[in-house]
Amino acid sequence: MTSREIVVVAEHMGGELSDITLEMLACSRELTHSVGWHVTCLILTDDPKPFEALPLASDRTIVVQDPALGSFNPLASARVLQHVLKDLSPRLVLLGNTGVGMDLAGLLSYRLGAPVISGCARIRTEGERIVFTSRLCGGKLLAQREVQSGLAIALLMPGSFHRESGMQDQVPSAEVRRSPESLEALPVRFVELVEPKTEDVDVRKVPILVAAGRGIQSKENLEGVETLAKELRGAVCATRPVVDQGWLPRSRQVGRSGMIVKPRLYLALGVSGAPEHVEGMKDSELIVAVNTDPEAPVFDVAHYGATVDVLELVPILTEKIRTLRGG
Amino acid sequence: MKIAAILRQVPDVVEELVIADDGRSLAEDEVMYVTNEADEHALEQALILKGRHGATVTAVSVGGDEARDALATAVAKGADEAVYVPVPFGDRGDNHRLAAHLAPAMKEGGYDLVLTGFWSADQLDAGLAGLLAAHLSLPYVGGLVSVAVDASTKKATVRKEFPGGRVGVMELDLPALLGIQSAEQPPRYAPVSKVMQAKRTLQAKELGGSFPKEDGVRIEKLLKSDPAVRAEMLPGDAKAVADQIVRLLRERGIV
Amino acid sequence: MSLPSPVTGVETAGTREDFATGFLRRLYKLPDGERILSCLQCGMCTGGCPLGYAMDYGPRKMIAALKAGRVDDVLKSESIWMCVACYNCTYRCPSRVPITDRMIAALREELLGRGVGVPAELQAAFEKTVRYGNPFGESPKKRDAWTKEAGVDVRVLGEGDSADVLWWVGCFPSYNKRNRKDTVGLARILNALGIDFGILGSDERCSGDLRCTSVGEVGLFNLLYEHNSQELGKRDFGEVLVGDPHAFNALSKEYPRLGTPLKVKHYAQFFEERLSELTPLIKKEMRVKVTYHDACCLGRRSGLYEEPRALLEAIPGLKMVEMPRNRENALCCGGGGGGMFLDSFIWERTRVPLPMQRVQEAAKTGADVLAVPCPLEISRFEDAIKTAGLEGRLRVREISDLLAEAMGLTGGM
Repeated sequence: MTSREIVVVAEHMGGELSDITLEMLACSRELTHSVGWHVTCLILTDDPKPFEALPLASDRTIVVQDPALGSFNPLASARVLQHVLKDLSPRLVLLGNTGVGMDLAGLLSYRLGAPVISGCARIRTEGERIVFTSRLCGGKLLAQREVQSGLAIALLMPGSFHRESGMQDQVPSAEVRRSPESLEALPVRFVELVEPKTEDVDVRKVPILVAAGRGIQSKENLEGVETLAKELRGAVCATRPVVDQGWLPRSRQVGRSGMIVKPRLYLALGVSGAPEHVEGMKDSELIVAVNTDPEAPVFDVAHYGATVDVLELVPILTEKIRTLRGG
Repeated sequence: MKIAAILRQVPDVVEELVIADDGRSLAEDEVMYVTNEADEHALEQALILKGRHGATVTAVSVGGDEARDALATAVAKGADEAVYVPVPFGDRGDNHRLAAHLAPAMKEGGYDLVLTGFWSADQLDAGLAGLLAAHLSLPYVGGLVSVAVDASTKKATVRKEFPGGRVGVMELDLPALLGIQSAEQPPRYAPVSKVMQAKRTLQAKELGGSFPKEDGVRIEKLLKSDPAVRAEMLPGDAKAVADQIVRLLRERGIV
Repeated sequence: MSLPSPVTGVETAGTREDFATGFLRRLYKLPDGERILSCLQCGMCTGGCPLGYAMDYGPRKMIAALKAGRVDDVLKSESIWMCVACYNCTYRCPSRVPITDRMIAALREELLGRGVGVPAELQAAFEKTVRYGNPFGESPKKRDAWTKEAGVDVRVLGEGDSADVLWWVGCFPSYNKRNRKDTVGLARILNALGIDFGILGSDERCSGDLRCTSVGEVGLFNLLYEHNSQELGKRDFGEVLVGDPHAFNALSKEYPRLGTPLKVKHYAQFFEERLSELTPLIKKEMRVKVTYHDACCLGRRSGLYEEPRALLEAIPGLKMVEMPRNRENALCCGGGGGGMFLDSFIWERTRVPLPMQRVQEAAKTGADVLAVPCPLEISRFEDAIKTAGLEGRLRVREISDLLAEAMGLTGGM
């Protein structure tokens, strides 16, 4: 009898569930609509209180409690998950395609002998089969994979589902367990969490953002972008490569490992639109992207686009807005 | 101290990606390969540690001919040893089998640290880092932006990225395997003359044994991303586009 | 008591000479490199350098330090990366020391080899050129995509093909959107003159001059040279026509020196030779006041001052005015010697950026148009015009663009 159990491995920080957890629940909910599947939300933590009474869109919530699970430790989590998952015997395990999920996928795959499908944007069932659609190569390719039977571990791309659908009207039954294994004296230890220095602008709070991508080409060209942002009464943010180059501080980075923003205007200049960046800005109200490559994935998420040269556009646009304001 | 840096080749997206006739893979003669960016950072981090501690760095390069060229560049940048791991075209992108294939040699190497990119642009299964760590039973964390080593206590202190710009400081006992997101400084430049010289004098060990044949990743369909919803493209030159953008912004009261 | 044996003497000579001696020895071996030894320390070089005021080691001091064996001191100086290859120093030096091409290049090569202090944008430009044959990181296959918009037939020569003239297009004219109309203009002029010409298409790679000869990436230059000379060898042609003055210098000077003799002309020379055929084709009067900027690579480096002027003067209605600093005294736009990629670095350390100074000088002449022969200058001067608030008062246009408009081949503006 094939299992019909889906286990969503939750991610959380500071007592709050991350958005990806809700998206994974939303994904499971969609899967369970047609066929009688069962969804368990599995939360590893040192304190169950923030999570026990959450109206999650799952059939039950299982909290595994242990002091060592207070902060993320791939080794501790993997040990716990290995046991619990063997016990629950699911058909599908959902992890986030994030720094947390990616740390767990390999270890779990090896210990459970299950295939992993990363970068999932869509999952659907076809009888006994589960069909996964993943994004690759900076979002330029889509790959479809199937798992006929047995356990599959999928890493879900943030932004593929609506977090609101991860909640429901009632609170599912919650169970608190102890860790099945001792989590002391591990060769991997969490030391401390460092919050970002926020002396700089918090791009999450600015309603107008002008994003600088690699197409800006040089630090010197950023000046023009800053001027444009100023005329728009907004702030400059950036993709990871621009921040890695040191052209802007890390606090301006938008994307998977940076800030998640939802401004009124997101003007993406020279941004290719790789999934890691898109994750951070796809919910913006108005996305206008400028990139000389007509095949850039950014045009899949933008509302409006243009293939003119960013360096040509910036001063012209700045001047028009300045004139408009009577400056 | 002995450090290994594992580099994989991935399809270069600057070139147009062409799907093969079977609809499940990329056309072999149209694909241009480039070293996976996160792996470049892994090599850079290894070289940074070499600079600090006088470690020896072994570059392990996986793939086809481009992988061999990548070794010359790695040596030109400062790697001490080179290992070439040939992988047939159809088997690239499968990290499960790659991890199994690499594990024995990585174990034999007796490395204090094995670094590789946290993820790769073409991966469809779990990242190589986590899988290899599992095979080798090594402590592992990924998504790292800095690595500090204390050789006397045999510990590594790393910084792992979390969303919202937060950073988790973690400690591992050596030997360990680390998944690098970005090195502490951008990958250094290797002048062409040095790379050419390295190419001429390269002595790469080749990893023997055939690539594992057991069931790995199987793609049913490969497509170019072509979603139903795309941006409305604004026509014209920069002036025309600027006019249209201003109009859009005015319509929405943003300006 | 034994005397030091000859073996010891030989041994000493065979041990590693100290770094400075080795560096100088290699420097002197470069073409004309030994002229450094004849330096008079007159200071004409630093005096003529447009950025000399900001260098702690101007060319004169660099030579003095090098000859005194203090190579490391020079290498620590940031001045090495401030050279924009304007060739003022080389041009004025009474001892004809090849300062730009050999001394600056050798110092940069040393730093590149050490991986120390290389500005990141330059590194990115190198890496892209190695991989894709152009500094933009665009696919080599798209190098001749511009021909689709040309409106005239632009023949791509394959292996074994022949043409009277091989047009070496160059990276900026091929890929940069801002130079597109000038490239198209040039194609249409050639077509109107009935010239039998062809291009290498996607087999053409960067000539290497802009980033390499004076920037110290000799290895990259050689790599590009090997590829390009091989591709040139596969085709049959009489002359090479070049639109990019940097490529002009690489192809006319370095390539023959390395073993590929070529007859190279910049389009200014090429068209000036054919003025009698061109003039009847000029249909439109253009009532503009034009001032001509002598690009360093055509002017000081190659002595081509009058040909571009002759072309402009052939356009009816066009009035020429000269800037105070013209011909061999022209002020560099700052784009050479890797300057195109070093602006952040250089402008942090200098006062008014060079292109700004130049467009202000042009505007003072009362000219409507600043005419240039080099594609890099288009971007640089256009940006400077905006920054200097001269938009609407001054326009920068390439000679090929002006000529094409006068011949009724393009719409003009």
